[in-house]
Amino acid sequence: MRRSDLQAVVGGFQAEILQLRRSPLFVFLTIVQAITFLLLVSLFGLTGSSAPVALICKDTGPYARTFISTLESTHHSFDLKEMDLASATAALHRGDLVGILTIPEDFSQSVLFGKDVTIRIDIDNVNTDMTDDVQRGLPSAIVRFGQQLHLPDLHVRVVEQDLIPHDTGYIAYLVVSGLVLNAFVIAGILSATAIAREFESGTIKLLSLAPTSAFFPLAGRAAATTVFAGGALLLPLAIVVFGYRIVPVHPMAAVGALMLCTALFSCLGIVLGALLKRTVPVASLIVGMSLPLYLCSGALEPERYDGEKLWILGHLSPVYHAVGVVQMAFHGLKVTPESTSVNILALACWLVAMLALAAWLLRRRTP
Amino acid sequence: MVHASLLPSEFAVRFEGVSCRIGKRTVLEGVDLAMKQGEITGILGPNGAGKTTLLSIITGLRTPHTGSVTVLGERVSARHPELYRKIGVVLQETALYDELTTFENLQFAASLYGIAAPRSRIEAVLQRLDLSDRTRQRVGQLSGGMRRRVILARALLHSPELLIIDEPTLGVDVEARHTIWSHLRVLRSFGTTVIVSTNYLDEAIALCDTVAVLRAGRVIVSDTPEGLVARAGSCLDIECTAGAGEALKAALVHTEGVLRTQLTPTGLSVFLQGSALPDPILRTALQTTTIRGFRMRGADLAEVFHALEPLS
Repeated sequence: MRRSDLQAVVGGFQAEILQLRRSPLFVFLTIVQAITFLLLVSLFGLTGSSAPVALICKDTGPYARTFISTLESTHHSFDLKEMDLASATAALHRGDLVGILTIPEDFSQSVLFGKDVTIRIDIDNVNTDMTDDVQRGLPSAIVRFGQQLHLPDLHVRVVEQDLIPHDTGYIAYLVVSGLVLNAFVIAGILSATAIAREFESGTIKLLSLAPTSAFFPLAGRAAATTVFAGGALLLPLAIVVFGYRIVPVHPMAAVGALMLCTALFSCLGIVLGALLKRTVPVASLIVGMSLPLYLCSGALEPERYDGEKLWILGHLSPVYHAVGVVQMAFHGLKVTPESTSVNILALACWLVAMLALAAWLLRRRTP
Repeated sequence: MVHASLLPSEFAVRFEGVSCRIGKRTVLEGVDLAMKQGEITGILGPNGAGKTTLLSIITGLRTPHTGSVTVLGERVSARHPELYRKIGVVLQETALYDELTTFENLQFAASLYGIAAPRSRIEAVLQRLDLSDRTRQRVGQLSGGMRRRVILARALLHSPELLIIDEPTLGVDVEARHTIWSHLRVLRSFGTTVIVSTNYLDEAIALCDTVAVLRAGRVIVSDTPEGLVARAGSCLDIECTAGAGEALKAALVHTEGVLRTQLTPTGLSVFLQGSALPDPILRTALQTTTIRGFRMRGADLAEVFHALEPLS
């Protein structure tokens, strides 16, 4: 490398540092995205490791206690809570529990004398991920329990009782939640960049010099991106229906929910576009926001399983209600404690609020 | 200088005591200016003189801090939608939708002005600006000069009474420059008032009926191009040695018709009054020293400013 080449490298380095220092918004958003990925992996860990399971122990004998401690140390997906039958059943039907594990009153006696013993698990089989966990976790705990106590002749059987009459595959569950993410990304990016582009290219000034308010052509553009996004969403929908063979239980509700999501996320995109006024940062912000919002909204499993704090946090995002509505529309699953009509109402309120905010911002931001 | 107190009906635009600040910087200060209807008025000045701000105030994109502005009989203080039906604006930046064709860009603009049956109007404007063969071409594929003409077409779509153009020939080649000038002259012949900002003296002289010279936010003179040239004078560049130049400068101090002299690396520049002839100067030069050559030319923008220095 010649001296002049090195000088050019140093020159380029200095110029880029200066440029980055003078683009604080872009730099800030890039860092925020990196942080969202940190939160993302944390959420992923949090959501998969503490499924609330009620434990009803009818046996007061020593083996029951040992079995419970073996169970707690064997499988970490369960957050075991000792409860009475009535409150546990109510919590399961309310959606606050993944399952109820019942240890019968003759457990210790049966183990001691090598008799057959049956452990009952009532499970909210909202998706097969949880059912699979139980099917894997309990036998493994039983085997360890037998090894610890040197009981070669142990006859423990698990009886599974499902809350929902039909099973929903985990992929099928995830894919349907993914449609909400698709609506967020497609509608959000299209609308946000359409608005930000007007500011970035300077065409907003020309719109401002027309006799009609610049708000109207911008509203027209936003409407076009919403319609286009709605149309574009048909492609992932077709993949879900024909590719994954997931036929919605309530087709009209499924389409309606996705259209509602498209309109809502389009308004959110307009708000972000009018605030940031730059196409690249706004597009990367939406992509960056999408995954944490998705994870923190009951997309992988019902949000209520992730603990009280995350569940409350999930309510701050419209994606939570959207996932609730689409899971009901596609699989007939009630994944939120709130009813479907409450979720639709919440989405409608979000839409009205975002529409009002978008309209206000467009009027304020245009000269 | 045309005074702002003349009858308002004669003027398309009047500035009275207008000052404007951007942040803490004063961009325009005490501007009094009147621009006649049906004429091309040039706002001449170097970069940063306040030309764009002045035009932004006319269009209502910027609000003056003091003073008043009247445009086509309407007092302008902020955004004025009804006025926008009567004015067309060409901004400095060529803000168009690159992915759309020329026709589609104009079609969108027509929708903003509520133009009925826009197709025929668009075709007419494109034809007038020699853009008919570019109708279906994407704007992003057009050259800088072409884009400038599309912007002009966009501004003319609603047949404005007043056309405001910020730097009409910025970044365009000589041929395109003359084409744009001729379009503007045609517009004037149809009675359209045109206001152009420029930092090219030759453009102001070739195009404008009146030229207002702006410097550091103040209008230092407003005159016809001929009057402006007369103030700056014509220039006789004499090529000689540095010593000879100094001797010649001393000899010309009291010569009739000489406005001022300036030593240059190649000799001496002698600025003459508009009506003065170079012959007596050349005679004096030949008698005083040996010269290698000479040429007559018009003053450039820097020289005009120098000549107008006492006014600023």
